[in-house]
Amino acid sequence: MFLNSVILIFQETLEAAILMSVLLVFARINGIRPTWIIFAIAAGLVGALIFAFNMADISDWFDYVGQEVMNALIQLIIILCLTVFIALQSLRSRVTVSRHQNLIYITCMVAVVSLAMTREGSEIFIYIGMVLQQPEYIRPTLTGTGIGAGIGISCGTLLYYGLLGLPPRWAPVCGATLLALVSGNFASQAILNLTQADWLPYTKILWDSSVWLPEGSLQGHLLFAFFGYEATPSILQGIAYIAGMLFIGLSAYVGYRAAVHGKKLQPRGELVK
Amino acid sequence: MGSIRVFLIATMLATMTLFNFVATLQGYQSSLEEAERLFDNHLSQMVKLIANLHVEHMASNLNQSSDLAYQLWHKDQLVASSANSPKGFITELTAGFDYANFNGYRWRTLVHYAPDSDYWIVAAERTDQRFVLAEKVIIKAVTPIVLGIPLVGLLVWLIISRGLKPLRNLSFQLKHKQIDDLTAVKIPDLKDELEQVVQSINDLVRRLGSALEREKRFTADAAHELRTPISALKVQLHNIAEEVSADSQSFAQLKSGIERMQHLVEQLLSLYRFTPEEFANQFERVDIYLLAQNVLAEQHDAFEARQQSLELEGSSCYIEGDPFSLGALLQNLLSNANKYTPFGGEILVSVECSEGKVYLKVEDNGPGIKPADIDKVFERFHRLQKNLDQVFAQGCGLGLTIVKHVTELHRASIDILPSRFDSGCAFVIQFNEV
Amino acid sequence: MKFEIIMINKFTRMLALSLIAVMTLYCPHVVAKTPVLEIEIKDHLFFPATIEIPANTKVKLLIINRDSTSEEFESYDLNREKVIAGNRKAVIFVGPLSVGEYEFFGEFYPKTAQGKIVVIANE
Repeated sequence: MFLNSVILIFQETLEAAILMSVLLVFARINGIRPTWIIFAIAAGLVGALIFAFNMADISDWFDYVGQEVMNALIQLIIILCLTVFIALQSLRSRVTVSRHQNLIYITCMVAVVSLAMTREGSEIFIYIGMVLQQPEYIRPTLTGTGIGAGIGISCGTLLYYGLLGLPPRWAPVCGATLLALVSGNFASQAILNLTQADWLPYTKILWDSSVWLPEGSLQGHLLFAFFGYEATPSILQGIAYIAGMLFIGLSAYVGYRAAVHGKKLQPRGELVK
Repeated sequence: MGSIRVFLIATMLATMTLFNFVATLQGYQSSLEEAERLFDNHLSQMVKLIANLHVEHMASNLNQSSDLAYQLWHKDQLVASSANSPKGFITELTAGFDYANFNGYRWRTLVHYAPDSDYWIVAAERTDQRFVLAEKVIIKAVTPIVLGIPLVGLLVWLIISRGLKPLRNLSFQLKHKQIDDLTAVKIPDLKDELEQVVQSINDLVRRLGSALEREKRFTADAAHELRTPISALKVQLHNIAEEVSADSQSFAQLKSGIERMQHLVEQLLSLYRFTPEEFANQFERVDIYLLAQNVLAEQHDAFEARQQSLELEGSSCYIEGDPFSLGALLQNLLSNANKYTPFGGEILVSVECSEGKVYLKVEDNGPGIKPADIDKVFERFHRLQKNLDQVFAQGCGLGLTIVKHVTELHRASIDILPSRFDSGCAFVIQFNEV
Repeated sequence: MKFEIIMINKFTRMLALSLIAVMTLYCPHVVAKTPVLEIEIKDHLFFPATIEIPANTKVKLLIINRDSTSEEFESYDLNREKVIAGNRKAVIFVGPLSVGEYEFFGEFYPKTAQGKIVVIANE
């Protein structure tokens, strides 16, 4: 019970921690006070509890594939929010944004963190709820939860300070790259969920690296959390992964174009930060 | 980069947690493997024991436990078995370790063939029991590491806070240093890294202090030295007055120029007349209301000349202060109001006390002060709206600097707020009541 | 600065439309010929623990959890992961797969809940 609680909690915590760290770095670069993260975490916890308590019923939807569809939906919404977020980030790194745009920017951050927590937290809540019914498992599970969460949060903290420690020009670039990876990862997972639900057709396997780097190993879990590593991804997943990353790149370009366009319209100097 | 303390604590704790926990996981895994090996050894010993025992003694000699099962096969016939073993084969009869599911549990199985007697011995042990047992032992070793992290966090917090104390002390002292406090910064128990910083700061402060002192003395001396020639000029002016015609414009300009020079010199002198230390010694109980009455009476003519109404309201309020400089303060505020308020304007002086504070307000319905200018008005030689009208020409731009100086000497505060009239501003000075 | 808002709106609308299109396109071809295999979870064990399925065929696994506790069906080999609440059913589509063995386990009770899918060649 110990080891699987470590793996389970670690995986879910790390994914959320990476997102939070990167978004906190962006907030900091833009001088946004970190109060939003409290709202995001609170909303995420509430969402996770609701999701966990209704998981059994949600699973029965759409002919017993409701869980996959909901997960895919959440993942796609996260990608959408990240896309809008990056466009605005790209815009505000060049020109001053309006109050309205700043509000959308913060809303996107809150939405991304709380949605990611809803999906990942619900799994943890279900697991802990299951364990609490069996007294003999409580101690190893709680110990494992502590270790898994400790490793995940530590990785997030070091990532946060690592990004902040980068030269100011590189921090946003690295942050955006990480978000692009997360977006690709979520896109690939969403496709996997929909394939599992048989809403999308099966496609051939792209490669099989399960012999060299099994998904179940520690390195496999780490690579999964950062890059969405899978030993046997399907072709559709690969396409989705690239598309998810391209979305982020494209939206950064959209933000850049909007900034250039805006600068041309406005007298120089007034808009420049 | 935010707080150094938070950065140090967070990154140190994260690094320690990461390495500690990963090491713990490694330890857990190797301990578990070792335990598995031990259990497997135990199972193979049991198999050998069964092989050596006579079949008939088996039931009585082997204690029956629910998490152990065995079967003894001879030519595909079940010769003996434990009560909890299934009717059929537990697992395929291939020598070696394997797993099997029966009785609603998962079992670790060992098949052993005894060639001399042609017996197949199958022993099985419940994996969940083995696992729970092994894990229980290991978890006991792991739990303190997890529980220790908050303790480590607390210790790291305390150590880093202690280590950064001189730095915090320094920043606290610098933050709470009064603008005119030019004494050296003192940090007890100075660390090597900070010594140079404190030394440089104190050096700067000392040099700044002496520069300010020189400036003050120069101004005061110059003003003082200028007084005599100006007095002489005035006498000469008085003498010439009889010789020139009454409506000579040059003479009028000369006269007003000399008066302005005299005013400037007097203002400069009153600005530097006192230092804070000698000042506090002369404090006495002052009735601000009475003082205001006197100043208003003195200044009445100037307001009359511009047809402005000047009113005083309130009642007696007492503060600790120096009546002379307080008089200068109010004079300057009033002449300021007089100059900036147009012809026929209203000026209202009020004195009130509430909750241990005494408020002296001078309000007018003049043009007011733009928010952006509020900080600037107290600067020396700063003038607003340079060409407002001729009366203004008499100002020298030191009045509000003197006001600010006197309020600071009295440890009072001054604010510029909108006045109660439609336009104009209110200078509100807040003293401590006695 | 309306420009980028319009751009983003257009972008998201296109994204949403294409998603709906993809989902509706592939939604109908469910069930019909897909064979159904039942797996039960009882006392944190899979019954049967070994399932044989033909190669290159998509199958629908109907997993019935008879325990009161929830379980998570997980397989790295199959790339499948799904939470199954206590006393509930769940459907997981698997395959088409090539010949070989694919292990799966219950993530909440991995020491006991283990099983594998054996894919055998069609005659």
